[in-house]
Amino acid sequence: MTDATTDKFDWAAPAFQAGLRKRKRNELWLKGLGLGAISIAFAMLFLLVGSLISTGYHAFTQTHLRIAVEFDPDLVSADAPERGDFRKILTNTMQANFPDVADDRVALRRLTSVLSNGAQFTIRDMVVANPELIGQTVKVNVPVSDPYDQLNKGLIDPETDEANRRLKDDEIANFLQLKEAGYVTKPLNWALLTSADSRFPELAGLKGAIIGSAYALLVCFLLSFPVGIGAAIYLEEFAPKNRVSDLIEININNLAAVPSVVFGLLSLAVFIGWFGMPRSVPFVGGLTLALMTLPTIIIATRAALKAVPPSIREAALGVGASKQQVVFGHVLPLAMPGILTGTIIGLAQALGETAPLLLIGMNAFITSAPSTPFDSSTALPTQIFIWADSPERGFVSRTSAAILVLLTFLIAMNAIAIYLRHKFERKW
Amino acid sequence: MYDLKKSELDVDQAKTKISARNVQVFYGDTHAIKDVNVEIADKTVTSFIGPSGCGKSTFLRCINRMNDTIDICRVEGEIKIDGQDIYAPSVDPVQLRARVGMVFQKPNPFPKSIYDNVAYGPKIHGMARGKADLDQIVEASLRGAGLWEEVKDRLDTPGTGLSGGQQQRLCIARAVATQPEVLLMDEPCSALDPIATALIEDLIDNLKQQFSVVIVTHSMQQAARISQKTAFFHLGNLVEYGDTNVIFTNPKDERTENYITGRTG
Repeated sequence: MTDATTDKFDWAAPAFQAGLRKRKRNELWLKGLGLGAISIAFAMLFLLVGSLISTGYHAFTQTHLRIAVEFDPDLVSADAPERGDFRKILTNTMQANFPDVADDRVALRRLTSVLSNGAQFTIRDMVVANPELIGQTVKVNVPVSDPYDQLNKGLIDPETDEANRRLKDDEIANFLQLKEAGYVTKPLNWALLTSADSRFPELAGLKGAIIGSAYALLVCFLLSFPVGIGAAIYLEEFAPKNRVSDLIEININNLAAVPSVVFGLLSLAVFIGWFGMPRSVPFVGGLTLALMTLPTIIIATRAALKAVPPSIREAALGVGASKQQVVFGHVLPLAMPGILTGTIIGLAQALGETAPLLLIGMNAFITSAPSTPFDSSTALPTQIFIWADSPERGFVSRTSAAILVLLTFLIAMNAIAIYLRHKFERKW
Repeated sequence: MYDLKKSELDVDQAKTKISARNVQVFYGDTHAIKDVNVEIADKTVTSFIGPSGCGKSTFLRCINRMNDTIDICRVEGEIKIDGQDIYAPSVDPVQLRARVGMVFQKPNPFPKSIYDNVAYGPKIHGMARGKADLDQIVEASLRGAGLWEEVKDRLDTPGTGLSGGQQQRLCIARAVATQPEVLLMDEPCSALDPIATALIEDLIDNLKQQFSVVIVTHSMQQAARISQKTAFFHLGNLVEYGDTNVIFTNPKDERTENYITGRTG
């Protein structure tokens, strides 16, 4: 075009070359921005997971004392082993190890404060299970109380001013003496998964929360999966396309975007207020989560049904299949991987949902795991909420550990979704 | 239509299988098929030709009421198979489609085994009295589609794993398995290479001994090779219908002549 003598385009013209350079520059820019965005996202992810692990790993071990306990027949009788004075047994045990400590109540209490408050119940359970222990001296593993656990993990600095420290010099000296005697162990903290919540961090675990979440998710799945798929099949395959179905579709899409706290208020008013269902139970939690998951499943299922190629429908119709045979015999099986993926992602969302569960009272303090979906319990996210709110030092690392447990479940669910998608992926 | 009567007189054919009277098809406000009258003979290959969008596929899909599945589509007029109006309220379209088989443009086997692909139709209609009976239907259908020798050792492998031409023959076997009286084919060879096309054309020639075959095609050579009757559609009208050799050598209508000689497309 710069050449006046012919109509041929001049590829070497400076204007064209400048344009080319500009295009290349823009492309580089775009690439750079994309890489930058991904790097920032990854940095954030590493920061999150890194900080969780760096505070949370402390909670995966728990300091224990391995000490010889004498089950004095004067303090616990074989007739009613559960009514023995186990506190006294423990005090005697500690006193035997520290003969120098004055025999007054305050000093003894400071000495036995090394042991967890739950230690007396640990040994009580041992004796109740096996009354032959009475009169014997047995080596027992008992958790130490939270401050000593923190000390053992190096989270309490003995160098700080005594007034600003949770543990005083004599208490630290007691603990170090036990440590030198080889009584202190630091095994993996299985109690984190096998015990329910407790006021004492060294005893607190996630069992109640995990089972509560599992029940809530089960109820949520049993309700939202069939209803969601049914609704989606009707809307996608059978419903006439008119204003009413358009209206329903818009409302379902809106429902998926409603803040979860609103669903919590709804179930508080309807399930608990009207129907008089109990508070804090996984069943109501599951109903609430089902309300939230339903739109996700409907949308995912409709998308999966839509993605089945029309040629398959035509083929089935062509050999004389009825509409219902086409849908259930061909379209639905082909859409199943997509439906399952959508469902699992919806359930993963529900697993992490906190606000609606707070509103129906699933953040109650409950120290036993639920045995049915109708027992009061917490759920994983609400347990995290409770622990994050607790003042004891031990709950700081336990909160992070609980978040890691929750993330593990979420990652596992998403991994299953990806696996299913790849396994059942079909090519046409 | 004068041409129609003439061609009927000219050609010594078996009795009429399908007869259409004043068929109109509307897609919403679009008048896609205008006043089509045609008599399709039994045990004959009839081809529908015409430029894209002329309505030949639409008309084909009226014959097994496939258009019913499209919400905005409306069919008027009368189509009779063996003297029975297929749009009468008493006719079940699902049953009709078993009697009027269809093969589509793109091979569309179910993502199931070869056996299940063929057995599906007989199964849902309860045509087989047991496993042995079903096996026999599957074998006969695959033989009828000229595919038996190629697949008899791997009936349980997925039908989607076959080559394009084999897939299309599998689809023909699937359509044949329900023992239809009419076989509709919507450009069955347009996605195939010449060798696969030749196989299918031979097959169509054999199939016409059992039933009436109606085929939509874009290839005029194909229409000339395989069909005894040809209908030329243009802009929703059936312009000319008659013996294939008459249509191709001595068309009455100027539009037909232009299309056949390649002046319009």
